[in-house]
Amino acid sequence: MNLKKSSLGAVLALLLGAAVAFGITSSTLLSLLTQSIIYAVFALGVGVLLKQNGMVSFGHALFFGGASYLIGILLQLQLMSAELAILVTLLAVTVAAFLIGLVIVRVPGVAFGMLTLAIGQMFFLTASRARGLTGGADGMNIDWPSRLFGFPMSQMLKPATMFLVCWSTLVVVMFLLAWLMRTRFGGITEAVRDNEERARFIGITTLLPRAAVYALSALVTSVAGVLSAMNTGFVSPESMHWSLSGVALMMVVVGGFKALWGPAVGAVVYFMFKDILGEHATHWMTIFGMALIAVIVFSPTGVAGMFDRWVLGKKPSVKVGGH
Amino acid sequence: MTNYVLQAQDVAIHYGGVKAVDGVDLTLEKGQIRGLIGPNGAGKSTVIDAITGRRKLTRGQVSLLGQDVSALGVVERRMRGLSRSFQRTSIFGQMTVYRQIELASHKMGVKDSAADAEAVLNELELWSLKDSPAEDLGYGEQRRLDLGLALVGRPTVLLLDEPMAGLSVKESLDLAQHLKKLTSSWDVSVLLVEHDMDVVFGISDVVTVFELGRVIASGAPAEVRANPRVREAYLGSAA
Repeated sequence: MNLKKSSLGAVLALLLGAAVAFGITSSTLLSLLTQSIIYAVFALGVGVLLKQNGMVSFGHALFFGGASYLIGILLQLQLMSAELAILVTLLAVTVAAFLIGLVIVRVPGVAFGMLTLAIGQMFFLTASRARGLTGGADGMNIDWPSRLFGFPMSQMLKPATMFLVCWSTLVVVMFLLAWLMRTRFGGITEAVRDNEERARFIGITTLLPRAAVYALSALVTSVAGVLSAMNTGFVSPESMHWSLSGVALMMVVVGGFKALWGPAVGAVVYFMFKDILGEHATHWMTIFGMALIAVIVFSPTGVAGMFDRWVLGKKPSVKVGGH
Repeated sequence: MTNYVLQAQDVAIHYGGVKAVDGVDLTLEKGQIRGLIGPNGAGKSTVIDAITGRRKLTRGQVSLLGQDVSALGVVERRMRGLSRSFQRTSIFGQMTVYRQIELASHKMGVKDSAADAEAVLNELELWSLKDSPAEDLGYGEQRRLDLGLALVGRPTVLLLDEPMAGLSVKESLDLAQHLKKLTSSWDVSVLLVEHDMDVVFGISDVVTVFELGRVIASGAPAEVRANPRVREAYLGSAA
């Protein structure tokens, strides 16, 4: 998709979001949609890592919960304005992820996944036990100021406004990622993912692009963490638990990672199962699990892959690496 | 004194007690094609790995245009003009033909990478396929694309590891003609590892024969073909 088409798609998506925000009167439905959009941003972060690096992370909840904690702590300490605290949080997570990435992206396949799991759980345990700083297992409230970016916080937290904020963030993040993938950086990361050895033999130093993609995916995930902190005003260690990383990964698998919008669709599907099916079936996760198996067996490229095949007539391709 | 573009002196690669390559001397003159032949496991590909920095030298020295590059890594050697292709087709499957060649050209520091990419693709008759993902190409076209990736940035030396493997007779002959042409029109010297004897003896200026990690013969194609030791070790009585 070229930049013109992406821009047009982004504008249409923003208009659609506005229509949904002002068209739906049920606060409960808007809140559920908001939650699914926040997780769509989270899943997008995990999806970017799989799409551009061909790597599976079981520890991205670290960046989701970590961003919520960091913004909470910065606001608690009252060292800076909330707007600056958001910026500092996103930057800090990105830099930390880049440094972690420089070490762990050297490790291929399952070992990489296990490392992400170990690092994530390490921080989960730290957050659970550092009562003085994080509130321990009870979690912590996040003290947002009365105004954010010039808008009253009470207005921001209204379901329609919050949905619009989260939806617009998702659209903007997707647009920026689509643009980035078309730049030289996107080409380099694709080359490294497809065939790392050949990439070296065309003059590409392969470690930095892999670490940069890892940091980029953490940045996107941390955006979701900040949105979650705004939406709920609360963070607990569960938001850093590996099972949450697993949920995000399931969203990516269901939605598909080849297209940028795939993980977002996966998040919406997940919440549809959770909220609609969960009303009628206690063990809705079993049904979702079966749906997940069906997707993996019959459409490894997820919902996005099905769309490509059936609507756009593209041939299937699930490869994420070279030989 | 001859000015070699590439000179490998006393190159050795040992894996514990196994001497994959042991005390090999090789040279390449400007515009020359040197064929490297020998049975499987003789150490031909390992020599290419050693020269390009993919494997660490146990002993010896590699010089490019008179400069010792033995301590440099793969990327640095490539940037200095030491390029290679692989035994197995090594391309970027999901990228389009043009995007990967243009990217490679840009990474090699070519100012007008678009023009360079167009020149490479035209040279290898791949321009009409520029918008196709590499994985959609036929095998012969993929091999040419592989060669194209090695050619961007106009390298000084090209080390080709069985570029004809899996190609039809016609495709092999076409590629051989391309290689011969490149040495004059693109000013590139070629070290060619190949099992297709017709191609090697047809286009090489000199041929070197390997056996068990050592050079057993080297010289003009006719001279090597007539060498009784080479006939016994590799070519057989039919050669």
